[in-house]
Amino acid sequence: MDEVRMVRDFYPEPAPPTAREVARAKALLNKPPRRSLPRLRWGLGGVVAAGAAATVAITLVGGNTSGGGNTPTPLRTVNLGPKGAILAAAEKAEQQPTGNYWYTDIVAGQSYIMRPKTGTYAITGAADESFHWTGAKPGMGEVYHGRDLPAHPLTKQDAALWRKAGSPSSFRVWSNDHYYTYAAKGTKWSANGPERGIDPRGGGDFLGKSVKDLQNLPTDHAKLAAMFLSETEMSKALGQAGKKLSPEMEQRLRQAEPYLKISRVAGILGQSPVPPKVRAGLMRALATQPGIHAIGRDTDPLGRPGVALASDERTVTVTGEYGGPKAEQGTYRYRAVIIFDERTGAVLSRQNELTRPGGPYAEMKPGFIIEYQAVRSTNWTGTKPKPSAELPSFG
Amino acid sequence: MTGDPPPDPAERFDEVFDVYFAEIHRYAAKRLGPDAAADVAAQTFLEAFRHRRRYDPIRAGVRTWLYGIATKVISRHQRTETRALRARARLGPGRHAEEHTERVDSRVSAEGLRGELAGAIAALPRGQRDVLLLVALADLSHDEVAAALGISYGTVGSRLNRARTKLRKALGGTNPMLTLEEQHG
Repeated sequence: MDEVRMVRDFYPEPAPPTAREVARAKALLNKPPRRSLPRLRWGLGGVVAAGAAATVAITLVGGNTSGGGNTPTPLRTVNLGPKGAILAAAEKAEQQPTGNYWYTDIVAGQSYIMRPKTGTYAITGAADESFHWTGAKPGMGEVYHGRDLPAHPLTKQDAALWRKAGSPSSFRVWSNDHYYTYAAKGTKWSANGPERGIDPRGGGDFLGKSVKDLQNLPTDHAKLAAMFLSETEMSKALGQAGKKLSPEMEQRLRQAEPYLKISRVAGILGQSPVPPKVRAGLMRALATQPGIHAIGRDTDPLGRPGVALASDERTVTVTGEYGGPKAEQGTYRYRAVIIFDERTGAVLSRQNELTRPGGPYAEMKPGFIIEYQAVRSTNWTGTKPKPSAELPSFG
Repeated sequence: MTGDPPPDPAERFDEVFDVYFAEIHRYAAKRLGPDAAADVAAQTFLEAFRHRRRYDPIRAGVRTWLYGIATKVISRHQRTETRALRARARLGPGRHAEEHTERVDSRVSAEGLRGELAGAIAALPRGQRDVLLLVALADLSHDEVAAALGISYGTVGSRLNRARTKLRKALGGTNPMLTLEEQHG
C-alpha cells in the first residue's frame, strides 16, 4: 500500500495566499532587520561584500537615526598624516612577486555583552575564520575553508572579569532578537557547508579580473576612485544600478556611503593581490572621499597596531521592538574603521568601533570593537596552501 | 570570484519570492491550516532573505533550500500542527463543518479512516513527519529531503520507512485507497 500517496490525498488543497498576505510578507523583507549589527562579509569578494554591507548599512540609518546630523564636524582631511609614511613605503616597495596560488585568511567576530554580578565584560562570539585560496590562472582550482572559533573574552580586561565570573565555558547572550549561547569551543577546518566549498576548475579570477589585469590597474588615486568608488560603481556594487530608488532610499544610501566605501576598499585590498602602488592609490582614493577621515593609530582585534581611516559616525537605536533585556536597548554611535599596516600598506582589519557609548554598549568605552573582519594573513605561495590548525591569538 | 555561488537569492531575492511564495504558503497551509500559513510563509522568506548570502547552490536548489527553512519554521508551530491533526482524528470523517468546503479525498473519508490517519501522522516523531510530508506534500526526492533537512540520504530512507510502517499499523494494515473488493478479496 502506498502510504505516501494516501498522506498526499489526506491533506486538502488549501486556498492560495491572499494578495494582502503576499504584500505583507514582501514588505517584511524591506523592514530594517532585527539584527543590530550583522556581519559584513568580504568572503565573497569586494563587490558582493559591498552589496551585503549595503543591506546592513541602509537599514541601520533608517528611521530615527540622524546619520551624523548632530555629530561634531569631523576633521576632513586629504592629508593622511601618519599615513604619508605608509604610502611612501608602499610606493617604494618592489613589484610584488606573484606565485601559483593566492590565499587569504580572514578572522571575523561580533562582540556581545555579558552582565554577571561580578562585572560586565565583552566577549567575541559568532567568531569564525575563513581560508580561501585561488589559483593564479583559471583551472588551477579554488577552495574556501572555514571553521568556527571559540567564543572568548574580547580584551585582557574582559578576560580578567571573565575569570572573576568563574571562567564560564559558554556565554548566553542577547543576539538581535533572541538569546543565543556561544561556546568557548571551535570546530575543525572544513570545506563543506555554507560559504565553503571546492571548485577544482576555478581560479584566476580576482574580483572579475585576472592577475595581469590587477597588475595593469592605474596607480593614480583619481582614476582608481572613478573605477571603484564613483556613484555609478557603488550602485553597481550594491546591485542597485539602473534601479529607480525612492528619495528615502537614496538618502539612506548617501548617508551610508562612507561606510560602504570602507567595506568596498577593504574588500578589494583584503581579497586580491593588487600591486603595492595600486594599493597606495586606493588608500589615497578612499582617504579623499567625503565622509572619510584619518584617525591616526589604531589597533585591530588581533592586537596589531596600524594607521586608520574612519567613516563619519552613525547612530543606532535599539528599541524593545524585538524583545530582549532592557540593558540591550538604547542609542549608541559607531564608525567604520579600516586599519592598514604601516610598513606595507596591507589591510589589517575592517572594524566597527563604538564612538559614543549607550544602549547595549553603555558600559563599554569609545574604541570598543563591536564587529570586525581582520586579515590574519594573505600571500602568494608556490604550492597549494593549507589553513593553519593553530588558533589566531587575540589582542 | 569564481567558486562563488551563483547569486540568485543573494542578488535577485525578489524573483525568488515571486516564484516560490505561493508554493511555500501552500505547504504551510496544508500542515498548519490557513491561519498560521501566512505567518509561516512570511517568516520563511524573511529568514531566507536574511541568510540569502549563505545559500549554497552546490548543496541544494533554491526550492529545496526554502523547504528546509520552511520545515524549521513549521517546527516552531508543532503544537498547532499536532493539535489540528488530533482534532481531525477526534472528529472523524464528515463531522468537521469546514471539511465540506475543502476538497477532501472521498475515498479516505468514505473508509472512515481519515481520523486514524490524522492521529497516526500526529503521533509521528517530528523528524519522521518532516521527511514524510516533504515527500508527500512537497514532492521532494530523497536527495532533496536530505539537503533540505541537512541529514543523510540513508536517514531519509529509514525515517520514511519507519513513518510508513507506523501509518500502516495505525490503519490496521488497511489501505483506504484500495477498493472494498480488493480488501475483501
